[in-house]
Amino acid sequence: MRRKGLVGLLAFVVAILFSVSAFAGGFIKIGVQAPITGKFASEGQSIDKAVRLIAKQVNEKGGILGKKIKVISCDDEGKAVKAAICARKLVDAGVIAVIGSYTSTCAEAAEPIYYRAGVLQTSDGTSDTLVKHGYWTFFRNSSPNSAEAKFTAEFFLKKQHYKRIAVISDYSTFSTNLAKAVINDLKKMGGNIVYYGKITSGAQNFTPILTKIKSYSPDVIYFSGYYTDGGLIRAQMVQLGIKADFVGGDSNDNPEFLKLAGKAAVGAYLVNVPLPQMLPYPQAKEFLKAYRETYHENPASIWTLFNVDGLRVILYAVKQTKSLNTKKIAHYLHYELKGFPGITGPISFAPNGERVGSAYMAYRIGPNLKYNIVFKEK
Amino acid sequence: MEIFFQQLVNGLTIGSIYALVALGYTMVYGVLKLINFAHGDLVALSAYIGLVTVMQLMGALSPVLLIIATFIITMILTSLGGLILERAAYRPLRKAPRLSAVVSALGASMIIENGIMLIWGPMPRIFPASAVPNANYNIHGVYISLMQVLVLVISFILMVALYLFVNRTKLGTAMRACAIDQDAARLMGIDVNKVIVTTFIIGSALGAVGGLFIGMYYRGIYFNMGWIYGLNAFVAAIIGGIGNIPGAMLGGMLLGIFNAFIAGYVSSSWSLALTYVLLIVIMILRPTGILGERVAEKV
Repeated sequence: MRRKGLVGLLAFVVAILFSVSAFAGGFIKIGVQAPITGKFASEGQSIDKAVRLIAKQVNEKGGILGKKIKVISCDDEGKAVKAAICARKLVDAGVIAVIGSYTSTCAEAAEPIYYRAGVLQTSDGTSDTLVKHGYWTFFRNSSPNSAEAKFTAEFFLKKQHYKRIAVISDYSTFSTNLAKAVINDLKKMGGNIVYYGKITSGAQNFTPILTKIKSYSPDVIYFSGYYTDGGLIRAQMVQLGIKADFVGGDSNDNPEFLKLAGKAAVGAYLVNVPLPQMLPYPQAKEFLKAYRETYHENPASIWTLFNVDGLRVILYAVKQTKSLNTKKIAHYLHYELKGFPGITGPISFAPNGERVGSAYMAYRIGPNLKYNIVFKEK
Repeated sequence: MEIFFQQLVNGLTIGSIYALVALGYTMVYGVLKLINFAHGDLVALSAYIGLVTVMQLMGALSPVLLIIATFIITMILTSLGGLILERAAYRPLRKAPRLSAVVSALGASMIIENGIMLIWGPMPRIFPASAVPNANYNIHGVYISLMQVLVLVISFILMVALYLFVNRTKLGTAMRACAIDQDAARLMGIDVNKVIVTTFIIGSALGAVGGLFIGMYYRGIYFNMGWIYGLNAFVAAIIGGIGNIPGAMLGGMLLGIFNAFIAGYVSSSWSLALTYVLLIVIMILRPTGILGERVAEKV
């Protein structure tokens, strides 16, 4: 009996130590949960580096509420199982907020653990389901897929005034869902879809489906899959003498698209969030400069900057609420924060943790393969 | 009508590539009764060899010479690959049970595929647009590119040449003899090993042309593309009657055209599935393939 009591006492002491550790050391602990190794290593490392850079900048100015920021990273390798382990580790380390993860899958796997521990989480994951669990701890710092679909539909009907729309997707969940969402939004807005078909990703020969689409004489072909197929579709479209526009979803936005399509890339449209160097905001230019000076390279992609915004907005909320109580911070973010000047645009959150507004843009690829913005959200 | 002819052109182009690759399967099967599963990966390898050659020679040669040089160098190097494959993976197992050779073929396939990935990386590699002829013609609403014309013409010439070689030359006759009965051929004074080596060289060289066409026409190449092209070409060889050379050509063309017409007139989402349904129907009606002869099972 005595032994049991001792263990209980010990556990109690440890629990107290952990629960106050965020305050006791004079540190504000921030976690990074990212795929630092594995398939998405470049993205994960970039996010980790960027978070550390922000922490350094804040600490050099004396920290927040008189406390320095301490960054604790955990590598989830882009795998759901590792994500859950990371989440426990970071919670145990006493972080008040976690930046991560890069993939929707990992962010979703970690969500309930942060929620139960009352730790704030901000992720760039685009899956619509991330904000559907009702966790007050979760904040999406990017835009969901549904926002891309809505933007695409508006671009098609309000800017380009397409009358006959053909849609192609591959068989992947991501691509099919995006295509279906675009079709739904187009139909809601009165768009006329003349064709929807699927291709086998990697098949390379898309002339049969394109010839078939040609017979419907569409004025645009929208492709929701990946750049490896998109570039070829664009090239083969032009080769078959199809005069319709080509619009590619966000996964077509890759330098390889331009190489695969070759000359045919000119005149193609892509829909995506902006490239880091295209962000018009002064705070974006400032951050990119600091990042390049520290690491002698560019951030891996726009996703790094979304995550940085997630961190900046949480730190701002800490400052405003003068508190490390995550409930208070979350309440501030949900209901009081309006139009915070983020690197990726103004930030506000809906009560479900969704970022309000999105930053999608449509580009037209110019003769020198430069991106020209032709349409963006107000 | 334009659409019909356009689909025909689409189908014939990809069909020619399938046919070239299918010849490699069918020739080796004819002589050795072995499915050379590594053939598709050899085709993928040839595309990479072609890419490296183009990159090295680009600028040093005029565009026409560049293409000719690329074809010759790639065909030689790929044949060498086929030669090594035969020596290392198949010859030691020639007397072993059939299954051992099949496993060895699958192993060789994986070695080549992963070798490509380790050397050139898992990202797709892309043929430079400037190294490939890119003229495009519009004939009464049917669009055909210079590259497609090249694919069709060169494939046709190669197939006729192969047909003449097999039927009109001494080595070709020896090859047919080995296909019928290796032991009898040996008794007649035919060097069977030499014939088998020649088969691998020709099959690999034709596959190399197919690989180069894939690289130059579609421009993007992947380390694992040997699987999908190999599978389609293998199917083409079976449709035509495996072991039968004109059969492989016919099978490749039919497969390409089926695919285009099903995608064009039925449903593109279902084209792959329906193509295989058709394959099954052909197999039921003619178990030995369209041109395949009924071969007496050796006991």
